[in-house]
Amino acid sequence: MSVDVDMRVTLGSLELRSPVLSASGTFASGREFSNFVDLSRLGALVTKGVSLDPWPGNASPRIAETASGMLNSIGLQNPGVEAFVAKDLAWLADSAPETPVIVNVSGHSVGEYVRVIERLESESGVAAYEVNISCPNVDAGGMAFGTDSVAAAEVTAACRAATKRPLIVKLSPNVTDIAWIAAAVEGAGADGVSLINTLLGMAIDAETRKPKLARVVGGLSGPAIKPVALRMVWQVARAVDVPIIGMGGIMDATDAVEFMLAGASAVAIGTANFIDPTATVRVLDGLAEYCHRHGIERIGDVVGALEV
Amino acid sequence: MTERHNTPALERVTVLANDRVAQGVGLMRLQAPRCAASVRPGQFVHLRVARGADIILRRPFSVHRARGEHVEILYQIVGTGTLRMAEKIVGDDSMDLVGPLGHGWQVPDGIAHALIVAGGLGAAPLGMLAEDLAARGVAVSVAMGAPTKERLVARDVFERVARKIEIATDDGSVGEHGLVTGPAERLLAEENFDAVYTCGPQAMQRAVARLAADADVACQVSLERLMACGVGACVSCVVSTVGGLVRACVDGPVFDAEEVVWDAP
Repeated sequence: MSVDVDMRVTLGSLELRSPVLSASGTFASGREFSNFVDLSRLGALVTKGVSLDPWPGNASPRIAETASGMLNSIGLQNPGVEAFVAKDLAWLADSAPETPVIVNVSGHSVGEYVRVIERLESESGVAAYEVNISCPNVDAGGMAFGTDSVAAAEVTAACRAATKRPLIVKLSPNVTDIAWIAAAVEGAGADGVSLINTLLGMAIDAETRKPKLARVVGGLSGPAIKPVALRMVWQVARAVDVPIIGMGGIMDATDAVEFMLAGASAVAIGTANFIDPTATVRVLDGLAEYCHRHGIERIGDVVGALEV
Repeated sequence: MTERHNTPALERVTVLANDRVAQGVGLMRLQAPRCAASVRPGQFVHLRVARGADIILRRPFSVHRARGEHVEILYQIVGTGTLRMAEKIVGDDSMDLVGPLGHGWQVPDGIAHALIVAGGLGAAPLGMLAEDLAARGVAVSVAMGAPTKERLVARDVFERVARKIEIATDDGSVGEHGLVTGPAERLLAEENFDAVYTCGPQAMQRAVARLAADADVACQVSLERLMACGVGACVSCVVSTVGGLVRACVDGPVFDAEEVVWDAP
């Protein structure tokens, strides 16, 4: 790693010291990884989904390994926004004060999303919001908002009205035309989009004739989804002007470069954290090495530099 | 218990031995000095068994024994990942682990007599405990069970340190004919124990927990769950307890039996 590559990127009004973020739901609120990673090196820490009230999550089994990937149906289990403020935000303010915190906001209804944001507006340790309209594992809300451009715009506009902080909307890949949804949330006031969330899938145990997940279906992540994610980042980059946080199966720096070439201003590391708890900083070091090898002075120069 | 520096880390490992020790069961000895120096009985390691992209997740394994710079893992060959493990040869240095992880067995000060109840591969997290208890001067009795003689594991480990061993097999091929709960119940009736430690199939652990409760002896169980991260982030491995849903990887895998809600989905 070298100091002379400029790794800073901007996400709208957010100035980040590096383009590598944690993906929501794979990094808790950072504490679990603080033995492995210097959290201050992250461009931002994106928290696990936070809802207004505590959510119990889904029945077990909640995960299944599949070829080059995994399915999950955790169901956004979380203790609710009050506990998040008292425990997670307090810990972050104390232990990772230099790391921008992007809070992933979840809800069963437009009103719940807004109330989570309203509760967090008075907290100084929040740099931005990522509105999760794409979780495939909850019955009400979640992906339902992210697969309908009108509903997506409605949630975005309501959240927009609740805050002046940067508002990022996390998009679902489980749609026919993700660029259409991206344009809708951009039009409703989103400052950026992150994509992709997991792809809806399922796994079956042929011996027992039972689904491998208690909820039958779940979200597919990991290297298996990277080609789909890259394609969607590329399509969205051509359709909107707001910056993109790209994610979906990034395991190493080469994967991250590919997302940036496709048009992502920053990248998020998700499932890779489960396999290698140092994945975020390993990718960051690899990005600097890539820049050196190619004589690139600013990582930002890679963004959208795909030669078609 | 002596408090040692016990934070987990990523550690490259080398295979020192990898032998078939029972039908479908392997015993792998790994060079892992950092983990070996700090792991406590009942803790686990999260092992990356393949570096290719086809199977991506780590596999959690209780540390069976730790000695010097080595840790031992008992594993049942049940799927793609464990099949890869079975194929590892001595000198293989392609794997790494994250560990030591989780909360292990609690050994209260002043206990004199402990009962270990191991069902099948449930012996895995109990080997190191038995050695640790014996080293502290605690008298150890063991009830161990398996489907059949060929699938009984870790008998030698327990024989070295236990004052009494009772064995049961489903087919009667060694020891008595029946479930391990038979000798466990008899031992609890015949002797006074200060603690019961058990691991095995969940139904067996639940039955042992009930026997211990009936005998008014504190019981700890080591629960197995599917997990992805092993460090508390993914919330895959939840266990229902009287205090709500907790994570097996960081809040367990060892729990006080009376905290576990066995009937939860």
